[in-house]
Amino acid sequence: MVVVPPSTLAIRNITKTYPGGTQALRGVSLSLRAGIVHGLVGANGAGKSTLIKIIAGAERPTTGELVWLGRSTDWRRPADAQSAGVAVVHQQSPVVPALSVLENVYLGNETTGLWKPQDRISEFAALCERVAFEIDPHTIVAELSVGDRQMVSILRALAQNPALILLDEPTASISPAERAGVLGAARSLAAAGVAVVFVSHFLNEVMQICDEVSVLRDGQLVDEFDRDGMSVERMVAGIVGSRLHAVEAVKPTHDIGEVVLDVRELQSTGMNSPVSLQVRRGEIVGIAGLLGSGRTSLLKAIFGADHRVGGEVVVNGHPLSASPQAGVAGGLALVPEDRMSQGLIGDWEIWRNTSLADSRELSRRFRILDVARERLLASRARRELGIVAPSIDTLVKDLSGGNAQKVVFAKWIYKTHHVLLLDEPTAGVDVAGKADLIKLIRDLAERGIGILVVLSEFEELLSLVDRVVVLRHGAIETEFSADAVSVADLTASVGGLA
Amino acid sequence: MTIQKTQHDDVPSMSIGSRLRSASHSLRPQRAGVVYALVLLVLILVITTVAIGQPAYLSSINISNILGQVAPDAILAVFMTVVLISGNFDLSVASVAALSAAIALETIDKIGTVPAILLALAVGAVVGVANAILVQKVGVNAFIVTLGAMTAVRGVVLIVLNGESVTAKSQALVTIDDVVLGIPFWVGALVGIGLIAIAVFRFRQARRSTALPLDGFFVALIIAGILMLIVSFAAPDLLTQPLPVWIMVFVTVAVSLGLRFLVPGRKLYAVGSNPEAARLSGINVNFYKMAPFVLSGIAAAAVGLVYAGRFNSVDPNALTGTELTVIAAAILGGTSLFGGAGYVGKSVLGTVILFTLSNGFNMLNLGSNYQYVVQGVVLIAASAVYTVASRSRNRRKLADSAPTPAPTAALGSE
Repeated sequence: MVVVPPSTLAIRNITKTYPGGTQALRGVSLSLRAGIVHGLVGANGAGKSTLIKIIAGAERPTTGELVWLGRSTDWRRPADAQSAGVAVVHQQSPVVPALSVLENVYLGNETTGLWKPQDRISEFAALCERVAFEIDPHTIVAELSVGDRQMVSILRALAQNPALILLDEPTASISPAERAGVLGAARSLAAAGVAVVFVSHFLNEVMQICDEVSVLRDGQLVDEFDRDGMSVERMVAGIVGSRLHAVEAVKPTHDIGEVVLDVRELQSTGMNSPVSLQVRRGEIVGIAGLLGSGRTSLLKAIFGADHRVGGEVVVNGHPLSASPQAGVAGGLALVPEDRMSQGLIGDWEIWRNTSLADSRELSRRFRILDVARERLLASRARRELGIVAPSIDTLVKDLSGGNAQKVVFAKWIYKTHHVLLLDEPTAGVDVAGKADLIKLIRDLAERGIGILVVLSEFEELLSLVDRVVVLRHGAIETEFSADAVSVADLTASVGGLA
Repeated sequence: MTIQKTQHDDVPSMSIGSRLRSASHSLRPQRAGVVYALVLLVLILVITTVAIGQPAYLSSINISNILGQVAPDAILAVFMTVVLISGNFDLSVASVAALSAAIALETIDKIGTVPAILLALAVGAVVGVANAILVQKVGVNAFIVTLGAMTAVRGVVLIVLNGESVTAKSQALVTIDDVVLGIPFWVGALVGIGLIAIAVFRFRQARRSTALPLDGFFVALIIAGILMLIVSFAAPDLLTQPLPVWIMVFVTVAVSLGLRFLVPGRKLYAVGSNPEAARLSGINVNFYKMAPFVLSGIAAAAVGLVYAGRFNSVDPNALTGTELTVIAAAILGGTSLFGGAGYVGKSVLGTVILFTLSNGFNMLNLGSNYQYVVQGVVLIAASAVYTVASRSRNRRKLADSAPTPAPTAALGSE
């Protein structure tokens, strides 16, 4: 065995219990060492973010010990951890758009009251060299792409000369081309002797750059391995546990009935060329298209949320007038792209959100609210959809992405509806949550609901749908049966290459 | 995991302690601050008046006096709260009330009582509809629309009155303000017992773990019931009040219950909290954004009639500044300026605080010059308390988690 370098940060048997009684961590021990990229993976709600907060000094463990460079520490606030030598880069780290790259990198880290950029230029060049990144230090950050801003955040963390750097989903919001830069930066940091913690949902990235991986599930470390034992299968198995089967299950064959949604020459303020399509009962139709191809606009136009310019939407034989109210009354349901700002009321409990679309049917005579029935419905939804929350009185803003999305589904599925419009239903949802949602969508189709779904991940899309409609520049280009098209073909078609 | 869940769902009864604990959340300063402020204020005034040898502050006469003064503004505060919950703002209420009073007094001798009243109410409704359309359909900011309406409507008052005050010969409006209605003490006592009985019923209902946890409504029932009993036996003459006070009580109770127990109430809060989510859930957002303006306009006109009846005369500057008092009252009651949160009952208590302050200044002969300073300071202090209390609670939540002992104990408890 080679000599194991001493731990930069040793985490010893840490537990964390929140005041509500939620146990986020149940005894986790980790060793983060200089020169090593340590991957941390786990589903939403597995305790990952709590662990990150503890390492960053934003929260204190309930029991257990943190040992920093050989000495036991008790960080009370992020500034304590920062001055000890911990730097954190978040998914979307705040940068000041109006300042230059150089000013952002040294913001809050100016050694003198007088700001002299020329003194910092050479320092800055050295930082850039460490992560193999080139940028004009005088560029205003507002002009940078999201990926370059993320690099600025990394440079900024690096300027503090940290012994440990924590990268929390650093690639989640940037384009694939820019990811390489961020990943490369993580490697070069480790090569320079920094302990790197890399947190990501993208398991291929973890595979690519990590020396060791720890898998968290339900607040415990369920698996640890180094490069020799590393595989995507092993990580997925650790993350989802027994729920893996749901994802792998073969697409069920189901009966497809008569046309339930008939969109005829529809035009709206968000969509200039007329679109026609049909969805049958029990059919799952996918919409594939690039960002800006009009996917969301099409769903909104069908639902009646955008002003209709021309055409017709017929549900179950009845033409609908163009408003969300008419859409809902006619049996349409929409799971919008941004669930927190468009699908839910974050300050409300689960039970008031699940009856949001249905408060008329869930009321007594004279429109008196039937709270008991509403709460029964919420309890049923929590049980049947597996919403993980202490109770139905939990505020929706405190839920993880996957659980919040289940509440959006619950809002619609217990109500009479014929067509479900889904806009990126699995975005920001962890592997286990995704499996649950996909199973739920299939079950709904089984029950005879027509489903129209927008999904950016084509592999997932093809495994879910019966038929794919390709949207380009707001118009339907072509259409495939899901069995007859590969991810590569679909990607090519969407990009206008086929 | 599954075992825990079934345990949780099947538990037939919640302990008395846990029921009381959930009810006690509503007693925190950021929730019940307006009640504590009122109690504190009254205590100070009672002690001071005793100390300097003035007549008893909590005499039935003085309380009736305050209630009579509070009633019109409290009614305005109820509807202002409704507008604020919907996520809007209405500065035009005082001008509308003045216009309603002016129109009623100008026309009552010519066209008769009922037509004059209907005309005044219609004018209030028209201003409300205009505000609603400009804000919701045209999309102008509510602050600007209603600031404009406030100014313009005041201008119409000046035109209608031609710059002079007007007095009506007809005494019909005076009776609105003068009619005194009383209920026998035993009815009051029965109401008190009834309220407590409902509270007890709800407390028993809440033993089911699936029931809605007890909240401020439960606490309010108990306090209202006890107060009714005290009043009925100790000061039954308080059960006899002029019509405006009864209107205030009725409006407050009716709107509170409507907001809490009816579908439109729920939808109003939804629209105020997150209009886009409400719209995409099929709620008629336009209606719930516009209706409060119309209600507020009509209510303001009705209050104008009460005001007209009080003096049977109105001058061009009548009620100037009342809109700010009313908004201040709603804020004292903890209503959010961002929409989606607020309780009309607390706004009424906020109104009572503001009038108790000025009443206290008169009782103590402190001169009304200081009154506005104190009102302003109280308003800002109240907002500061709400803000700081909710912030420090969040912080305490984080700090609490640090010294929790054995983790196994926590596992078993939840």
